[in-house]
Amino acid sequence: MPFDQLDLKRAIAGDERAMQRLWSQHAPHIDAVVRRLCGDPELAADVSQEVWMQIFRALPSYRGDSQFGTWAHRIAVNRTLNALRKIRRLAKLETDIEDDSALTEQDTDRTFLAESIEQAMARLSPGARAVFVLHDVEGYTHGEIGEELGITPGGSKSQLFKARARLRKLLGHLVDESIPVGKGKAHVAPV
Amino acid sequence: MSHLSEDQLDQIIADERARQQAPLNEWRTIAARAREEGLIRESQSRSWVSGRPWIQAAAAMLLLVGGIAIGRTTIAIPGSVQSSNQAQQIAGSGGTSGATTASSIAGFASVDDASATLERALRDYERASAFLAANSSGPTTVDSSGIYRTRLAALDKVNNAMESALRTAPHDPVINQYYLATMGARVATQQMAARPVGLALRGF
Repeated sequence: MPFDQLDLKRAIAGDERAMQRLWSQHAPHIDAVVRRLCGDPELAADVSQEVWMQIFRALPSYRGDSQFGTWAHRIAVNRTLNALRKIRRLAKLETDIEDDSALTEQDTDRTFLAESIEQAMARLSPGARAVFVLHDVEGYTHGEIGEELGITPGGSKSQLFKARARLRKLLGHLVDESIPVGKGKAHVAPV
Repeated sequence: MSHLSEDQLDQIIADERARQQAPLNEWRTIAARAREEGLIRESQSRSWVSGRPWIQAAAAMLLLVGGIAIGRTTIAIPGSVQSSNQAQQIAGSGGTSGATTASSIAGFASVDDASATLERALRDYERASAFLAANSSGPTTVDSSGIYRTRLAALDKVNNAMESALRTAPHDPVINQYYLATMGARVATQQMAARPVGLALRGF
């Protein structure tokens, strides 16, 4: 059953069933962005709880100017980035953006081959992963990413370039598995 | 070493974007946090029950019936046996106190005695449900017949499940008593649904 305005009113009033309907409908998408940004399932589960608490707390301020999912998505991104900042996982990105922070550890490409993009993303530094996820997966512009992360749009572009190069390398072995290309190219290319 | 092309990476990203993933937590985890913070208000979540005291009474009766049924399964456990007359007096007096009822469970002289009391209790439950529904001081809804139809449909499903359970365990006393309780609730709901608007039962 889709979440509607009546459910919204009930959820604001503290009705558990309405809140559960809201969560059921949006959790797959909201939790996906949290999972991608965190790169660690356990951390993501903890952060997701914080995200949902914040969404429920902020429900009375939702005015319906945008889709509910869009509104909740913004909260999820902000809350997740704040959580990552708290544990200083973005510190390097914000203080030393010009360094090659796309690498989270020694370049071990010779021994590590990612089976999925999720695994490959987990090999990126938190900052580079945030830029890549927000730009290429979630469709943010470099300007928006700059505002979220406190970096310049140029710094965001630089991180994205390095992140993509790193991912192409980590997923290189998939070349021989004939990934279909060209059917409705879906590269999000906001600027 | 091979590298993906930019297009191949874009395709993988598009697939990732479309991939459906399970939530990171179960709802009960989220709900527990929300409850701790006071974001879930029990009065809101349960207002449909608290506004209708007869539903609370019916729920209490179902719990009682379940408890009695479970008591039947432990009938072989030795305990202080009181006279069956005393137990019947307690049950027959329409005793609504939980303590009184609990003491009566230990006071049956035999399984037949307990079964007879249980059948009386079920009949009393049906009558009490109908009476409370007719005389409820809680808010009434314009489309109460719709509520009864919905409840009947739900009870039919429960009934089907219980009949299926009975085929699996035809002699199980717990299953039998739950089946009877479901039937009782169904009969009571049918009575309420058939009751003309504005008609209150005259006595109980």
